[in-house]
Amino acid sequence: MLSIKDLHVSVEGQPILKGLDLEVKPGEIHAIMGPNGSGKSTLAHVLAGHRGYTVDSGSVSYKDQNLLALEPEIRAREGIFLAFQYPIEIPGVNNTSFLKKALNEIRKYHGEEELDAIDFLSLIREKMTLVEMQEDLLKRPVNQGFSGGEKKRNEILQMAVLDPALAILDETDSGLDIDALRIVASGVNKLRSADNAFVIITHYQRLLDYIVPDFVHVLSDGRIIKSGTKELALELEERGYDWLLEKPVNQRG
Amino acid sequence: MSLGNNINFLDWIQFQASQATTRGYALSSNMRTPALQVLKDPVFPSRQHEEWHYTPLETLRSQKLDLTSSGDITSDHLLEFKAAVPDALTLVFVDGLFSPELSDDRYSTQNTGLTLALIETLNDSDRIQVETLIQESHFSDTNIFQQINLGLSNSGLFIQVAQGCEIKQTLHCIYFSSNSESARFSSPLKVIHLAPHSKLELVEQFVALTGASGVTIPADYIKLETGAALTTYRIGLESDQTHHISNIACHLADTASIHTHHYLFGSRLTRCNQEINFDKPGSEAVLRGIYLGNGSQHLDVRTRIDHAQPHCHSDQHFRGILDDQARGVFNGLVLVRQDAQQTDAQQSNKNLLLSSEARVDTKPQLEIFADDVKCAHGATIGQLDEDALFYLQSRGISKSDARLMLTRAFASAITEQIELLPLRSYLEDRIDAKMMELRANYV
Repeated sequence: MLSIKDLHVSVEGQPILKGLDLEVKPGEIHAIMGPNGSGKSTLAHVLAGHRGYTVDSGSVSYKDQNLLALEPEIRAREGIFLAFQYPIEIPGVNNTSFLKKALNEIRKYHGEEELDAIDFLSLIREKMTLVEMQEDLLKRPVNQGFSGGEKKRNEILQMAVLDPALAILDETDSGLDIDALRIVASGVNKLRSADNAFVIITHYQRLLDYIVPDFVHVLSDGRIIKSGTKELALELEERGYDWLLEKPVNQRG
Repeated sequence: MSLGNNINFLDWIQFQASQATTRGYALSSNMRTPALQVLKDPVFPSRQHEEWHYTPLETLRSQKLDLTSSGDITSDHLLEFKAAVPDALTLVFVDGLFSPELSDDRYSTQNTGLTLALIETLNDSDRIQVETLIQESHFSDTNIFQQINLGLSNSGLFIQVAQGCEIKQTLHCIYFSSNSESARFSSPLKVIHLAPHSKLELVEQFVALTGASGVTIPADYIKLETGAALTTYRIGLESDQTHHISNIACHLADTASIHTHHYLFGSRLTRCNQEINFDKPGSEAVLRGIYLGNGSQHLDVRTRIDHAQPHCHSDQHFRGILDDQARGVFNGLVLVRQDAQQTDAQQSNKNLLLSSEARVDTKPQLEIFADDVKCAHGATIGQLDEDALFYLQSRGISKSDARLMLTRAFASAITEQIELLPLRSYLEDRIDAKMMELRANYV
């Protein structure tokens, strides 16, 4: 589904990703862990198509297309979803009409009929139970005045409604209390299927108690320096990152 | 020199002023003569004039007029505009002249207490009453365009509401420039008098259809007595070949209130000047507005709020949206005089520039001579939030739709304050249409 090869990315001339490789297949959950500044969020933003990141070399193939050539909205319509670490507040744009518009754009792209207000409302009500979200948040402007936890639940709600093939969760667990974490995780678990995949970027092992990954990768200084299974996450929790950083594995050149 | 073909605006003014005719004008010679004296040697304000620094008048000065023929406006043209204000009492003016055929019957008994009259048809004593109102509702800052309207207006509308009467039906005035090839001139005059504790809601649309060009110089004189309440919506939908310079003077007695809403979509050049005078304590003025320009449009909002008396409240909020090479100007003066203690004066002007060549000049001015007052003003100029654009795109929404959504959201801080819901959705649609450059038939 997703194949990243030797990806080099810089921000304002500063290299951040320095030869990253990653393969994701349908049905898989990949966790990407790593210290601050290792490039985790850069990876998330590059995959979603943020303009602030320059791809210097390497390739990203998604569903056999060159992902990097696609506009952000086309990537979304092709099934990529980024749950933002810091969801943007958009005053004056109603949360429900925003999400209805987004869903219908994606449906139109796939030649499906647009949902009318009534059908959309029943869909969103069903999905809201997944994230245990208060209905009044639907009437508010997008993320405006939401608490940190509400913003993250709103991201998961959007994910549930848009039903992406590849969801990238960028530190969705940061700033969440344990209840919110559990709700977010159960939302993800209910959405996982044999056809979709998740890339879960996290700083802590905590989230992985609730969402069990198939693979865990350690990102450091712009490269994946170690990959393993969920046991790797536990080991990181116990020993920190330092033991890996001192003896980098799989380093180039 | 003969009237008619291809005469430029300034020369035409001078020619008109030098004519000896007294018939066919809204006002009496007593009122017109001083104005005509000024117009015999007309001088437009130059860029050196502080109030006109950002609004050059060269294109207006040289605007060609051709008054030999006028085009037809039919009831079909009205449909769209009437739909914006359903169930209103609609009065239609074409090139400044009242059209009985296109207007609703204004003598409906439904609106007890409402007087509507064409000033030029009044008998002498009624006309003197109206002219006295004009003198009482004078402008503090005078300009030549007020003189043009006084001296040359060929039709005036007098609106009066009797004491204690609340007019339920919205009054809707549509001013058309006829859609002929030739450039039209009109200078509609309006005098509004609300007796104590009366209430009125007025929607005005200035429309110039495709291909129409010309000059519109309206002037409004508004006098609100004790406890009277007036709400006005003024919508400018004029073609890119027109010039529009309007002046509104409003005088409020104690506990009176005025709410004005301006939606300026266009014309080549629009200048909208509002003066609010608090003549007695305890009154209120709420001014809202959006100016939305693209192409090479120039949209100028000027306000002057005179807090001459204590315990008055003014609240202004104007937003500008400018694309292409369009220019916006906001020039807002709040004057709080020494006796005007306990004044509450708020002013906000926010601007959204959608292109690198669009420009706005914003000039908030507070002059405060009282010491116990609450005054605040703020002005911002910004662009669309790139992070918000990316967020919307990352959900599958195209960049152009995302721009539209964010622009609409920016405008919504103003549009959501429109209490007439059909008018609100009409204006929201207009904003969208203009943003999408879906050129409707009036642009």
